[in-house]
Amino acid sequence: MDHAPVRNDMNHEAEADDRTMFGFWIYIMTDLLMFAVLFAVFAVLRGSTNGGPSAADLFNPGLALVETLLLLASSFTVGIGMLAAWKRQKSQTLLWFGITFLLGLAFLCIELFEFSELIHDGHTMQSSAFLSAFFVLVGTHGMHIISGLLWMAITLVFVIKRGLNHSNVRKLALLSLFWHFLDIVWIFIFTMVYLMPFIGA
Amino acid sequence: MAEHNHTKPTTNSHQGAMWSYAVGFLLSLVFTLIPYYLVTQKILTGTTLLLVVLGFAIVQMFVQMFFFLHLGRGPKPFYNIVFFAGTAGMIILVVGASLIIMNNLYRNMAPMEVTLRLAQEENIAEVDGHSTGACQENKDNNANHMIMIKNDQANPGHLDAKRCDTLTFMSDDNTAYKLAFGTPDNSVSYGGMFDVSITPTRSKTITLNEAGDFSYYNQSDRSIIGHFTVKP
Repeated sequence: MDHAPVRNDMNHEAEADDRTMFGFWIYIMTDLLMFAVLFAVFAVLRGSTNGGPSAADLFNPGLALVETLLLLASSFTVGIGMLAAWKRQKSQTLLWFGITFLLGLAFLCIELFEFSELIHDGHTMQSSAFLSAFFVLVGTHGMHIISGLLWMAITLVFVIKRGLNHSNVRKLALLSLFWHFLDIVWIFIFTMVYLMPFIGA
Repeated sequence: MAEHNHTKPTTNSHQGAMWSYAVGFLLSLVFTLIPYYLVTQKILTGTTLLLVVLGFAIVQMFVQMFFFLHLGRGPKPFYNIVFFAGTAGMIILVVGASLIIMNNLYRNMAPMEVTLRLAQEENIAEVDGHSTGACQENKDNNANHMIMIKNDQANPGHLDAKRCDTLTFMSDDNTAYKLAFGTPDNSVSYGGMFDVSITPTRSKTITLNEAGDFSYYNQSDRSIIGHFTVKP
């Protein structure tokens, strides 16, 4: 009988966690809706090149494949890191989230390289409706990656300082949900922006 | 008291196992590499390829939702799935309706020159009293010419035709050819078309709706194969 109050506490905590996860899930779904609108804009404007180069002239599907594989690998490592976090294995958690951070950083560097090449060659947001839609869609995803990386860095500092306490594990769980979501959005960017232009009508 | 707590703490519903992440990762790799390979190697073409590539993206989304997000597994997935289904419905409405509406606006409210070009592509000869330059289907006056391609040589090598005649390209040597108009250094479009793909089993017929002298070349070895002249 003396176990009972403890177990009840645990259930309360677990229920609170479930509510938090569900709330975050709702946020992710609304974020997905925003991406859906940006996808619709891109789909409508992808042919409006204002006489300039089209997607097939500008984009390099090989580079986009590397970005996809990096993000895919990071979605895998964040999952492994989360398994370690549930088991309260601090060093494993830090290792796998650290790898995730580096993979995300590599993805971001390639994306910024691609953007800078485009802008250097004079293909900016102002060039055409197609490029405006491209930079907004892919740039918004990139902004999410940047916020995810910042969030990850801050949470990892918390983990190093305070260990894998309940609150930190919950933060990591939300972060991993967010990271998987960014990977899923990227699959559609890869397909729509980087593969479809190379399919002859 | 103890009997009530047989179920695991509910946070476990968000946990997965190592195998789940590994399987999800491998499947995602496969579903990324296959469409990439199909597109870059041009195994399929056109709408088929478009649907296949989009299909792989959607399948991969479900793979990741199942193996990475563990949606549909664990004791408390119900609300998450309901909310996801609602979101998916809204996404289909937003994206689908935008495409339909904007396409309609583009076709029906575009400036006259765009309307004329669209009408020409659909073989409509006249819009509001403006001639679009499209060829009407009038089989009596229009001849059908044929060009056979064998060992990188076209027969006939030079062809004379009238505007609105049709021209059929055929492969005569069990090889697929991808022909482009103009010269290898200066590709041009013929009637809005940049290339013509033929296979041993599939010929390609085009309507000669543009007058002038044209050459065409083999895109794979960049050699000019033949010429044709279309008189107005």
